[in-house]
Amino acid sequence: MLKIENFSYAFGRRPVLTDISLEIRAGDYLSILGPNGAGKSTLLKGLLRLHDQGRATGRILVKGRDLAGYSQKELARVISYVPQAGGWIPPFSVRELLRLSRYPYAAISSGLNDSDLAAVDRALKLTGLGDLAGRQLRTLSGGERQKAYLAAALAQETEIMLLDEPASFLDPRHAADLNRLLRKLNQEQGLTMLTVTHDLNHPAQAGGLALVLAGGRKLFFGPVAGLLSGGILEAAYQHDFLYLFHPRSGGALVLAE
Amino acid sequence: MSRYWKISLVIALSLLVLLFSPFCGLSLISPEVIWIPGHPEADVFWKLRLPRTVAAFLAGAGLSMSGMVFQALFRNPLATPFTLGVSSGASFGASIYFWLGGSTLALAGSLGPLAASLAGAGLSMGLVYAVTRAKGGFSTAVMLLAGVIINFFFSSLVMFVQYLSDSHDSLRIMHWLMGSLAGLETAGLADLGFVVLAGAAAVGLMAPEIDLLTAGEELAASRGVQVNAAKVRLFLVSSITVGAVVSLSGPIGFVGLMVPHVCRLGLGWSHRLLLPAVFFGGGSFLVLCDLAARLILAPAEIPIGIITALLGGPFFLWTLFKSTRTGDVF
Repeated sequence: MLKIENFSYAFGRRPVLTDISLEIRAGDYLSILGPNGAGKSTLLKGLLRLHDQGRATGRILVKGRDLAGYSQKELARVISYVPQAGGWIPPFSVRELLRLSRYPYAAISSGLNDSDLAAVDRALKLTGLGDLAGRQLRTLSGGERQKAYLAAALAQETEIMLLDEPASFLDPRHAADLNRLLRKLNQEQGLTMLTVTHDLNHPAQAGGLALVLAGGRKLFFGPVAGLLSGGILEAAYQHDFLYLFHPRSGGALVLAE
Repeated sequence: MSRYWKISLVIALSLLVLLFSPFCGLSLISPEVIWIPGHPEADVFWKLRLPRTVAAFLAGAGLSMSGMVFQALFRNPLATPFTLGVSSGASFGASIYFWLGGSTLALAGSLGPLAASLAGAGLSMGLVYAVTRAKGGFSTAVMLLAGVIINFFFSSLVMFVQYLSDSHDSLRIMHWLMGSLAGLETAGLADLGFVVLAGAAAVGLMAPEIDLLTAGEELAASRGVQVNAAKVRLFLVSSITVGAVVSLSGPIGFVGLMVPHVCRLGLGWSHRLLLPAVFFGGGSFLVLCDLAARLILAPAEIPIGIITALLGGPFFLWTLFKSTRTGDVF
């Protein structure tokens, strides 16, 4: 589904990502971890082609095709993006935000057709936001707004979804709700998901694959189970961690010492 | 009331204003006489009032539409059609014309200020474009910074030219800077109509892109918008529209700030719906301001820029208090 080959990115002489190679299959769930400045968001931007392409080397293949060969609209029909909820809040209602996600499918200014509207309704239903569809984003709580961004990405009906710290502004309950929803979408809808996160317990609970970046280099890539041993997190964050097991689920918990 | 009803109401009221305004003035013109060939009031109607009403409408529509685009592009409701310096470039061109005189510039006749201000507008637009491009990509922040700097630069040059001018030329420059539709050159009207209507059509076609840019550039790109290309197109369309309007009427302030803001209160930020309301609302608003400019001190005429500025001050205060209450300038 997604193959990254020797991808590097630099701001002038300062490398941000160095020689990253990995392959993601359809339906995989990948958690991207690493300390601040490790290059996590730059990797996401590389996959979305938001970066200055003159500063990048290497190759990214999406569904077997070079990312550079996609038009912006073609790419938007394959990869969707959920930004962080903090910062600028678009002056739209939830439904308006979702309708904008149909842009890659619409002819110029012709408006939305029935299948577009059905996709919007499906996304609202999947995220349970039907009752809030008419509300302005700025009037929603952080958790509701983050769900609205997720719904907007779902309305884009792509096979791959990229999420940039989706739970970073949420309280523990909303964060848990959102993470459950992401896992459900991954398992039931077969969505390939790549999530940048600072929550070390997220991959432990969500399972799937993990990628750990440090100093712009790949420190670990593989099943999450392999992440919880061998001092990978300690090396990435230059910090000690305590590994516990959840008394009921038996899942791993990671605590910073 | 649904948003479609609101738009229909704005368009209907605007057409009524457009229809009745040419009959109004120091003296009312009866509709029957306008079809009588050679009747003095028919001449006033066809040769003076109608072109002026159309010019006011086009200027108001063009400035409001450009203001709407810049506010979306910069995600700032305080952006105006003049934020990027097109107006001060046009003012510089016009002031050079008045200072040196038409004969020196081989631009004698009433088209002289028009041509000179168009050249000035083109120069400032080209500079903003070149500076933004030179920094790589087409960054909104760089464009805004370049626009503000070039705005200040040309405003300073206008003051310098005014300083060098004698009192007569200085007065003409000052009068031009106030913005006025008096002594309008009808020769430029068809061109202005073409530019404003073509601009509106282009902006209408780009309404979904404008919505997505309002939502954020990263989000827009992830939804399939070619962000830099869209920004360049919107910059060019809006700046050319502003340049054409300002060259004909001088810099008429505040209309491009007030009208989009008021329309957004009722219609939100969906530009497919907002554009017709802003276009017709802006056009008819300036027609009414022009009517006020002609009637308040009749038979003397107040420059229309003074009327819009007098309305703009209280409007700014209202915006400020509203934003203080809601914690949000939107």
